[in-house]
Amino acid sequence: MESNPTDVCYESDHTAESEFNVINYFNDDDSNLFFHRVDSDQIIYQPRQKKAKLFGQYIMGDILGEGSYGKVKECLDSKTLCRRAVKILKKKKLRKIPNGEANVKREIGLLRHLNHQNVIRLYDVLHNEEKQKMYLVVEYCVGGLQDMLDYAPGKKFPIWQAHDYFHQLLRGLEYLHSQSIVHKDIKPGNLLIATNEVVKITDLGVAEVLDIYMTSDICRTSQGSPAFQPPEIANGDEEFSGFKVDIWSSGVTLYNFTTGKYPFEGDNIFRLFENIASGEYTIPNELDSSLAELLRHLLEYNPANRPTIKEIREYSWMRRKHPQNTERVPSPPANDMLDAHHRMSVLPYLEDLHRVESTDDGPSDDDKTSKHHQLAPPSPSVAKKQAVQKSKKSTCRQS
Amino acid sequence: MPLWKSTKSPQELVRSLRDALLCLSTMDTQRDSRKIQKASEEVSKTLVTMKNMLYGTPDQDPQSEVMAQLAQEVYNNNILLLLVQTLHRIDFEGKKDVAQIFNNLLRRQIGTRMPTVEYICTNSDILFTLLKGYEHQDIALTCGMMLRECCRHEELARIVLHSDKFYNFFTYVEMSTFDIASDAFSTFKELLTRHKILCADFLEANYDSVFDHYQRLLNSENYVTRRQALKLLGELLLDRHNFTIMTRYISNPDNLKLMMNMLREKSRNIQFEGFHVFKVFVANPNKPRPILEILLRNKDKLVDFLTKFHTDRSEDEQFNDEKAYLIKQIKELKPLDPPVHH
Repeated sequence: MESNPTDVCYESDHTAESEFNVINYFNDDDSNLFFHRVDSDQIIYQPRQKKAKLFGQYIMGDILGEGSYGKVKECLDSKTLCRRAVKILKKKKLRKIPNGEANVKREIGLLRHLNHQNVIRLYDVLHNEEKQKMYLVVEYCVGGLQDMLDYAPGKKFPIWQAHDYFHQLLRGLEYLHSQSIVHKDIKPGNLLIATNEVVKITDLGVAEVLDIYMTSDICRTSQGSPAFQPPEIANGDEEFSGFKVDIWSSGVTLYNFTTGKYPFEGDNIFRLFENIASGEYTIPNELDSSLAELLRHLLEYNPANRPTIKEIREYSWMRRKHPQNTERVPSPPANDMLDAHHRMSVLPYLEDLHRVESTDDGPSDDDKTSKHHQLAPPSPSVAKKQAVQKSKKSTCRQS
Repeated sequence: MPLWKSTKSPQELVRSLRDALLCLSTMDTQRDSRKIQKASEEVSKTLVTMKNMLYGTPDQDPQSEVMAQLAQEVYNNNILLLLVQTLHRIDFEGKKDVAQIFNNLLRRQIGTRMPTVEYICTNSDILFTLLKGYEHQDIALTCGMMLRECCRHEELARIVLHSDKFYNFFTYVEMSTFDIASDAFSTFKELLTRHKILCADFLEANYDSVFDHYQRLLNSENYVTRRQALKLLGELLLDRHNFTIMTRYISNPDNLKLMMNMLREKSRNIQFEGFHVFKVFVANPNKPRPILEILLRNKDKLVDFLTKFHTDRSEDEQFNDEKAYLIKQIKELKPLDPPVHH
């Protein structure tokens, strides 16, 4: 299951099928000893790479991405048959990140209670004490907006698409704020997209929960991404309005969606903060005036002058229906750029689980098996088994 | 537009729909059964054609010019109200078409304007006719679907919220037919939660009457109503937009007593939902005197009760943390100074 091919080989040694091979080798010991070594890279190419792995009620699929905490894999909930993603956190790695463990614990506590279409949904948390791993089962998403922007022409979205995503961002943000949560790290990299073009706010690792008995939204700390931080944080203010931080970051996000640039840049964090603190930025002339007006309001230097979510919605740019005259920026293809449709990667594993000979490698599959035959003539029982599997395969293909 | 040549124009279509609908609504079902039959067929046929104009068909995409004409004719002839008023006489498939046409028109947008929403704003009878639909079994769910779509628009939600008829929901959510009651409840919930500022202003301005009515739901004999109402109450109180409402609610000792009774309900689900409201009273750092008095009077019993409360939920860390916090809070309550008499 690991990405490393030698691991695949290693793991397959434990399975029943390759045990046959091992026995085989023993039987043929005296006939040919050398092919062991010659064949080592052939073994790696054995088609049996997709070994079904069940963890709890989840069947694991391919890797979707890798973060600083660990991998994210696709999986299938075998009870509900829902497609999910599982974030695998290695406790070892987590300990190396400042506040890593505490942040994750807090994030889990937060996410458990949240239920909104524009906020990533956490379904389950599993632990593997032996491997020191933690598994967070969340909604399946096809990619992040940052990845989409990276591949988009001009690194920006068409206006109508940006408008749609920004609307959804506001809806999710309004919900978080209604739950007394300040996200503090709103940026395209923390916005995922589900299969149906629904935006999901994710990564509440640095979010802050406000005291529900206090009217004010005063915050004192911030660990969000520097380019998206407002002047009050760049200036190092002791106290600041939490909600208005999120409004500012949403403004930078919208700026980035529509221009492909950032309002404030800098070679290092000090320069960047200096620029943010100066409050000087330009809005490209080619932007629609109503959009420029909204951006200027979102990026108000004084937090008190920044709009509330309700006020943002009243902007004419927000209320307007924007013509879909340009093509949608798609989510980047999965599986090393090969699969634009994000097919379910759990299926080959499932086929393996149910002993239907998988067809994951297409025609070349036969080729490899035959090579294998030449090198290691199978014992009659294995040959019979493979024949059965072959006939199964052909019926599969016919249907 | 070669495909429309042989068929009726939007004007003709709407006119024949109106005539057929008027016929349906005024005829006596006993005497004119044949005429009714004919009119009903005409209505169903026209609805299908209209739906195809709006949604398109496999061989013809919808054409914006035709759609605009159709919408204009629908407004001019008050077709929406007429459709909703005669809905009970339209056949099953036709009812579904009405909902689709209605919802499509409602989403119509030109620039920043939503013409159908504006139209309904000035013709609010449509909203109240839809609302009344909950009283009629055969159209309740179709009306519910359209009404909920309306409530997504703040302007329309405001009209419903600020009318006396809003209080009818407190009856509808307890209807004996389960699917109607739960449909009504989801519309009710949508109205109270979707437009945060509107909802908070409404609840604040009408606190007494709304929570008077709400109390009835919390004491309902119907388990589902009681549970849903309690869950929604928790959501409303814990929504930051409703801060003022929450502070007011948790200052009233009667509400605390009610929640303490919820904790002892037969149903574990209700106990659990009750806990999530009860905790807001206890964790409040500024508990008013009457609340403190109740908690103090029941101090030992509460600590004992909470210690044994849902002990099997060992997996729910957050719940256990919260429970431990409440127990600690109650244990540490200081006796009150005797009230000062003048």
